[in-house]
Amino acid sequence: MSVQAIDQPTFRPGEIAETGDPRGWFERNRGAVVRHAVINFFMIVILAPLAWVLIMSIKSRPDSMRGDFWPRKFDFTHYGYVFEKIDTLPVNLFNSIYVTMATVFLTATCAVLAGYALVHMKARGMGIIIAVLLVSLYLPIRVVSIISIYEIQSFLNLINSTSGLILPYVTLNLAISVLIMRSMFQLVPHQMIEAARMDGAGHWRILWSIGLPLVRNGLVVIFIVNFVTAWGEYLLCSTLTNDQDVRTMPVVLAAAQGGLGQWTWPALAAVYVLVVAPGIIAFAFAQKLFFKGLAEGVVKG
Amino acid sequence: MSMAQAVAAHGYGRATSIRQGLAPWVFLLPTLIFFIGYQIYPIVRVIWISFTNYEFLSNEPADWVGFANYIEAINDPLMWQSLWRAALFTIMFLPGTIIFPLLLAVLIDRVTQPRIATVYRVILLIPAVIPSTLVFVLWKWMYNYQVGPINHFLVDVLGLFTVYDAPQWLGGTSLTLPAIAIMEVWWGLGYHTIFFLAGLAAIPKDLPEAARIDGANEWQMFWHVILPRLAPIMMILVVLRFGTAMAVIDEYLIFGGFNRETPTYTWTIFMYDQAFKLGLWRQGFAAAIGMVGAVAMVFVMIFLLRIFRSRD
Repeated sequence: MSVQAIDQPTFRPGEIAETGDPRGWFERNRGAVVRHAVINFFMIVILAPLAWVLIMSIKSRPDSMRGDFWPRKFDFTHYGYVFEKIDTLPVNLFNSIYVTMATVFLTATCAVLAGYALVHMKARGMGIIIAVLLVSLYLPIRVVSIISIYEIQSFLNLINSTSGLILPYVTLNLAISVLIMRSMFQLVPHQMIEAARMDGAGHWRILWSIGLPLVRNGLVVIFIVNFVTAWGEYLLCSTLTNDQDVRTMPVVLAAAQGGLGQWTWPALAAVYVLVVAPGIIAFAFAQKLFFKGLAEGVVKG
Repeated sequence: MSMAQAVAAHGYGRATSIRQGLAPWVFLLPTLIFFIGYQIYPIVRVIWISFTNYEFLSNEPADWVGFANYIEAINDPLMWQSLWRAALFTIMFLPGTIIFPLLLAVLIDRVTQPRIATVYRVILLIPAVIPSTLVFVLWKWMYNYQVGPINHFLVDVLGLFTVYDAPQWLGGTSLTLPAIAIMEVWWGLGYHTIFFLAGLAAIPKDLPEAARIDGANEWQMFWHVILPRLAPIMMILVVLRFGTAMAVIDEYLIFGGFNRETPTYTWTIFMYDQAFKLGLWRQGFAAAIGMVGAVAMVFVMIFLLRIFRSRD
């Protein structure tokens, strides 16, 4: 870019103009003001349901039925109450944590190994594998295959088993995870791998000490994507299990009838906040890495 | 000369070269086991089941019945009605989930203060990290006629309705599909905006500048400079979201039920009902319903892809 182009003040509507414009502040910045107003409207739309449920969880019971957003009286005892009164709650929470962690770990392991192999190792048929993974993203496999997955699980004696859920859960995001890892490993130069091979390092060592640190951000994306899916899966869990104490927390919440018995509305909301918070907090901490990973690997195509 | 050949030349190479050939497959093995076991085999199996009178509960082995299940499905008016319901939902959902994020992305792309832009991006992705079931549960409560804030807003704040004629969103009324569509648009709003923002970031900055110098106004610029460059991303989104919208099932299970008359009784629920809910457990017939629905929607997806391809 030439010097002239920099010097020339290009007028961009909406940007705060600093020159001696005779018009008033609002007139000058009307574009920016309207823009931020529209954006903030959408931001409020995004956040409002979450704010509502958060407030609901600390409303007093009479206030919970009144509908006003802000309660007349706060009541913070619902969080303790749900642990005391809903006896399967700790079990359901444990199920969720156990199933999700196992799923995330297994999927990430599969995806890293496969992603590395698909980029830095040579074998016949890899093109076919990539094509099949890609096509599977577009097909409603999850829905249509539920009949035979039920059959597989009952053959393996895994109906109504919490651990049994892990196997189909791993597959839910396996294709996209492998493809993300593949595009991450494509950023690692072949020469780097070759050089390490010449020095006598095996593939395992190269993957562990050279590859993994380089694909870290993509790994964060895979963690989050798989966490979100496994933590909130409904169809498989509600089809493959029957008893409340083997199910995951969100599925139990979905079946709970609001306002009845132990499930007063603030109690429901309190459980909801407990279940939804870990994901949002984890994301808040990892968001920088997540966005980097997203930019590097996911939206590249 | 590759490593393998180099080693082979030294004599003790055969075992090594076999190990070299196997190594990629060792790395791919875990993925292949899961993918074949829980995606490819189940699909092949379901196709086979759809040609038999297979039932889980029956002790007798399944018999091959040819196209009988398919003929029964195609002749059942419910098959077409349920497919149409899924299409209706897709029509309600698809425009909103493309247009709002597009608008929002164009606006956010112009935010020059990096701090504020980051805050927006983080808020945008919050719904995307809320697991599916928790989105559905939250909105089920939002639509609740007793405590839900949506009806509270419509009745008490805006005064558009009274308690007696307040909209019934849930339970398979005519409002249930729009209610689910609104929820889905909310859920995808942030994620799709991020998608479009990535596309906008890839547009060279001198392009809009040049158009401005040529005297293009904002609208012309959006229409002629920005939109054509976002088209590839938009097409991917349309095809992917068409696929998810047509095959929605969890939402209907949670918001609807198994009443055949209700708008949420789509082909996915029809299949699920036949396979798991009705006492009959006719998995063969259910599989045929699933295949008819899946083939119909994949057909439209291929059609969409071809249209989009030909425009390039």
